[in-house]
Parts: sequence; structure tokens; C-alpha cells
Amino acid sequence: MGKYTKIKTIIAHEYLSKVKTKGFLIGTILGPLGLVALLGIIVYISMNFGDTSKKLAIVDNEGTIYTELIKKDSSLYYKADKNVDALKKELQEENIDGYVIIPEDILDKGKVSVYTGGGGGLGLISSLEDNLTSIVRVKRLERLGTDASVIDLIRQEVTVETNKITETGEIEEDDTKAMAYVGYGLGFAMYFLVFIYGSFVSRGVIEEKSNRIIEVLASSARPFEIMMGKVIGIGLVGLTQIIFWLLLGFGLLTILGPLIFGDPDSLKTMTDMAEAQGGGMASQTQGMSIPGVDFTLILGFLFYFILGYFTYATFFAGVGAAVDNEQDAAQLQLPITLPIILAIMITPQIMNNPDSTLAVVLSIVPLTSPLIMIVRIAATNVPIIEIAASIAALIGFFFFAVWVSAKIYRIGILMTGKKPKFSDLIKWIRTA
Amino acid sequence: MQNQSNVPVIEVKNVKKQFGDYFANNDISLKVESGTIFGLLGPNGAGKTTLIRMINNIYMPDSGTITIFGNPVSEDTQNQVAYLPEERGLYKKQKVIDQLIYFAQLKGVEKSVAKKRAEQWLIRFDAASWANKKIQDLSKGMAQKVQFISTLLHEPKLLILDEPFSGFDPINAELLKEVILELKAQGKTIILSTHVMEQVEQMCDDICLINKGKAILQGNVREIKKSFGRDTILLEFEGDASFILDNLMLKVVNQTAHRIELKIIDSSFDSKSFFNELNQKLEVYKFELVEPSFHEIFIQSVKGNEVEIG
Repeated sequence: MGKYTKIKTIIAHEYLSKVKTKGFLIGTILGPLGLVALLGIIVYISMNFGDTSKKLAIVDNEGTIYTELIKKDSSLYYKADKNVDALKKELQEENIDGYVIIPEDILDKGKVSVYTGGGGGLGLISSLEDNLTSIVRVKRLERLGTDASVIDLIRQEVTVETNKITETGEIEEDDTKAMAYVGYGLGFAMYFLVFIYGSFVSRGVIEEKSNRIIEVLASSARPFEIMMGKVIGIGLVGLTQIIFWLLLGFGLLTILGPLIFGDPDSLKTMTDMAEAQGGGMASQTQGMSIPGVDFTLILGFLFYFILGYFTYATFFAGVGAAVDNEQDAAQLQLPITLPIILAIMITPQIMNNPDSTLAVVLSIVPLTSPLIMIVRIAATNVPIIEIAASIAALIGFFFFAVWVSAKIYRIGILMTGKKPKFSDLIKWIRTA
Repeated sequence: MQNQSNVPVIEVKNVKKQFGDYFANNDISLKVESGTIFGLLGPNGAGKTTLIRMINNIYMPDSGTITIFGNPVSEDTQNQVAYLPEERGLYKKQKVIDQLIYFAQLKGVEKSVAKKRAEQWLIRFDAASWANKKIQDLSKGMAQKVQFISTLLHEPKLLILDEPFSGFDPINAELLKEVILELKAQGKTIILSTHVMEQVEQMCDDICLINKGKAILQGNVREIKKSFGRDTILLEFEGDASFILDNLMLKVVNQTAHRIELKIIDSSFDSKSFFNELNQKLEVYKFELVEPSFHEIFIQSVKGNEVEIG
């Protein structure tokens, strides 16, 4: 009989008993939909967070400004249909959000007053300032009798096209913005996958313990084999799911991609067509190009998922063995789950500033690194030395997790009754 | 591997196992001979489970040795042993057949062989129709059968059965007993841990009684009983037997409405005149001078041991 027969048997059992369930099928299909929905909600909230939901009534004593303002943003401005006193009263009664008084001499003095019930936020004031500034600038030029073509020139806004220079010296279009969002999505996926599969492990360990299955298992195999067999088996379930999603993604991109995004040529034709139709669509798509499929990123994701999952799942297995139910497990797991919760919370900052010291440190520190590093890999050009350091630290930490968890598992799995405290676990690690 | 006929199936020598300040096993030695049913007895918390776990390589003794068929307990000996723990456990959401195959595979059986054997045993236990049911859909008694079957599929030479009859109705208990005796007839060795002393008398060849981590009584069941002598009167009757309680030479061991078990505690007791007295006052159906029951031997030994310890 081969040396690893038993752990192989355990791995196969864990794998097959999960993959064969309806839950796996449903999770595999609904998982991506759920993630997309969640990201959609987040993007929706953050976009609406940028906009103000307030509306301002415009009292235009100059007479020509308000039409321009409403043209700029009809969701923000509307023409006041009452006099100032009535508006003041309405505001006091909180029937309106606020009003703007544009004086007759705005073109000379460049000053307006806005009245709100307090607050409104910086976003509101700055968009009002921006909008008025550009309107007033054009009006002043018109008053001076400037040629219409000059005014057109001034009206044109500048769009920043981001480029990056690759190591070989070529200049490529940089899709920083899009990639930052991709990173965010991958970070979220990492967070959920590590947690979901980690909790499968601790739930499985607790089931075997509380149903006393462990007694039979322990009379057949070593505790270490039972623990790692479960961790590996469930990890393979996770990988199966992710690889399925990747293949599905590739498949969809190959079949539907040309239709939606198009290859560069057909995209160009599409833009031409759009321009020919007189639409502003082309200029809208310029700011954010569709990123190509990035194999480094996918490999990085798989790699960090494997390392992150194994580290967390191994800890979860150890802690699961120490307790009799999932509530107690969650409590004892807190010291190891906090870092990744912290990581997901600060991911937006990492996205905005992927090369900050904080980002670099958290992408190397184990437990936060699987999530933060994948965000950084997507959002910026991470130096190879940092990736190497991060992987080395994570692998080292994984072995530490195995060492600690094996000790807790061996003692905890046959221990029933009293719920162990954190200090008990430390004692087990020392004595075992 | 050494010749099995001479070597004891299990040999425990001076085994100690301590948890904190508590001695679960304190210098236990015993031998289990091949082809016998060995009763491992003792009150709750005596240290039976600890000993069983050490035989199964789940715990390691702090000191002393345990050998199985002459080889020290290790991962290799695990596959020769079957273990039915007192607290049963199966995966609730998995199919009967899948679990049976899994547990057999863990004991080193090929999957296809495990499947064939599982199907045969399910038929033997009149349970073939459950093969594809999940454990959660079975009654407790049914699950007990599945658990018992799971211990047999690697065809072990040694079976350790901890309270195997609990949860079985009388009909299935009889079936189980039949199977256990069948296994014995095939030359397998069985360790039976039980609190039901009738089972010990009916099935066991040898016993070891453990109390507070120590073996306080061991040997052949017949010889142990013989050594206690015919000091017990079994009486079945009709009538008011309360006068018996006044007899200072006798102690009531066990009493129901029409049956009394009495222990003779004074050697000058005259059983003939007592029999005559009974016949005058009661309708006697049965009067038997016997060796004490194992129930009595168990209680006496454990209580005597507690007194000794103080």
C-alpha cells in the first residue's frame, strides 16, 4: 500500500462529496452573478456618492445664465418659480434643498450666493463653481465680441489619455482606471472565496467532531492526514470552481467578445460609425478602454488564492477542532479573520494609491497579502522583489499555520465539553 | 508477522496514560487470546475508552507497551483492527453506500472490493434498500446497523465493539449477537465493552474489569464465577416474602415482585432448613443455589475496590 493512500482517500472523499452536491452546482452558477450584482451595487453607490442628490433653484437676475446652467446639469439645477422670500420660506420648511442667486453684475464681479439648509457637501459647491466659471467665461468673451470659433476653442475640455512605458521601452495605452476596477473585483472575489472555502473547512471539521465521526477516522488515519486531507480536498473544489469560471469567461469573451467590445479593428469601425452618426459616444469611451485578458493577473490570482486559502483554511481547521459549534469557532477565528476584513475595507484606498507605503506593506504581510497584492498587481506595476517577498512571507506563514493547527487539531478533535479559551489553545500548541 | 496461534492478539503491558493530574490508565496489563470474546468492563469513566483509543493508535501511552499480533501499535496495526465507538458517528448528508466505501477505503480496502462487501453486508442485515439513502433519513437503529457494517468491511481479525447493542431492538440485537458469534466462529477476536452483564455471561470467554484506571479483576468468566462459589440463592415464588429480609445470614442482592436473588453472608447458614421455611410460607417455583451473577460480581468488585482505595 502506498505511503499516501490514506490522505489521497480523504482528499478524494472531501472533493467528491462536495462537488456532487446541488449546492456546488448552484454556487458555481450563481457565484459570478452574485459577485457581479454586488460589484454593481458598490459601483452604483460610489457613483451616486460622487453626485449630489440635492437640487438647487436658480434665481437669475442676469437673465441668461440659468439656461446654460440647466443645460450643464438638469438633475442639479432648475429655474426658480418663486420670489426670494418665498424660496427662503420653502427652504426653512425644508421643501427645497437650496437656491442660488445670480446677481445682475455677475459678468463683472464674478460672485454668486448660494443658500442651503446647511451642508450640501463640497461636491455641490465645487460643481456649481465649475459650471458657473465656464459659463461666465464664455459670456464675458461673447460680451467682448470674441469670434465664435475662439469661444469654441475655449469651450473644448481636455481629456487625459494615460500611457505607460513598458520595460522594453514601448509606449502602451494605460488602462489604469479600468484595471483598478478589475483589481477591486478580484480583491472582492479573493475575499469571498477564501472565506467561503475556509468556512467549509471549519464547518466540516466541526461536523466530524460533533457527530463523533472523528473517532472512526482517527482509528484509521493520522490526525494530520485527516486535517490536511480536508483542507486540500476542499481547496481543490475551490480551484475547480474558479477554473470553471475562467473557462466560462474565456468562452464568453471568445464568442461574445467581438460582438460587445470588438477586436481593435472592429472597435475602430464601431467608433467611426458612431461618429458618423454624430454621437458623442466615441469621446466617452476614450477615458476608459477595455483591458485585454491578462494572463499574469489570472495566474497571480490563482496563485494567491491557493496560498491564501491554504493558510486560512488550515487555521480554520485547527480552530474548528477546538470547538463544538460554529459560533464558538467564529470567536476564536477573529484574530486571523480581522486582517482580511481590514484588507477588504481599505481596498478602495489601495486602488487609488497602489504604490503607497501602506499598500506595499500590506501586500507583503501574510493574511492581508493575498487580497492586497492582487489589487496591486491589477492596478500598478508591482516590482518583482515585492512579489517575491510577499510570496515567501505567505509560504512561510502557511507552514506556521500547519504547525500550529496540527497541534491544536490533534488535541482538540477528541476533546469535548468545555469550550476552550484562546489561552488554552496556546497551551495546547506548547504541550503537543 | 509472527505466528498468530501462539501470540496473544493484544498484549497490554504496564500501560499508563495521564491527562493533567488524572490517571485514565494506571499500570494496566492484560492479554487477549486469539479467537475469544474478551469483555472489557468497568463503570463509566473507569478508563476503558482511553485504553481502547490506545489500542487504536488514537492515543499513545505515556509508558508501557501495547502489541497487536506481536507488533507494537502503529499506523500499520490500525488496518487490522475494527472499532465501533460507543458514540456512533456518520456523515448525516451522505449516502449509506458512499460512507461504507469511504470508511473501508480508509482501512486500506480497494474501492470495488469495499463496494461488493458493503452490498453483501447490507443484505445480511436486511438493509439492502437503504444503500442510496442518506443517514439523516434513517432511524437511529438503522444508522446503528450501518455503523456496525462499516467496521466489518476490511475483514479485520480483531474487532473492538463498544456497547454494540445499544440502540437495537430485541430482534436486531439477536441478529447482531448471531453475527458476532459467527465472526468468533470464523476465528476472529472480539473485544466487547458493555454494561449489560447478561451479555458478558452469555458471550464472553475472558474479562477484565477496570475501575479508576486499574484492572481490578481479570480472567476466565467461568473461573471467576467459580471462585466466588455457590453463595447465591435464586428464588422464584408467589406470596409475601418480606420475612426473608429479617434473616441476618442473607443479603438481598436483587429483588423484583416474584423473584429474589440472595447472597449468603454467614457460613453457618443452613440452606436446607431455609428451603423448608420457604415452602411453609410461600409457593416456591424455583430455588437454586448458584454462583453469583456477573452483575453482582461487578458491583461487589467495584465497591470492594472503592473501599480498598478508601
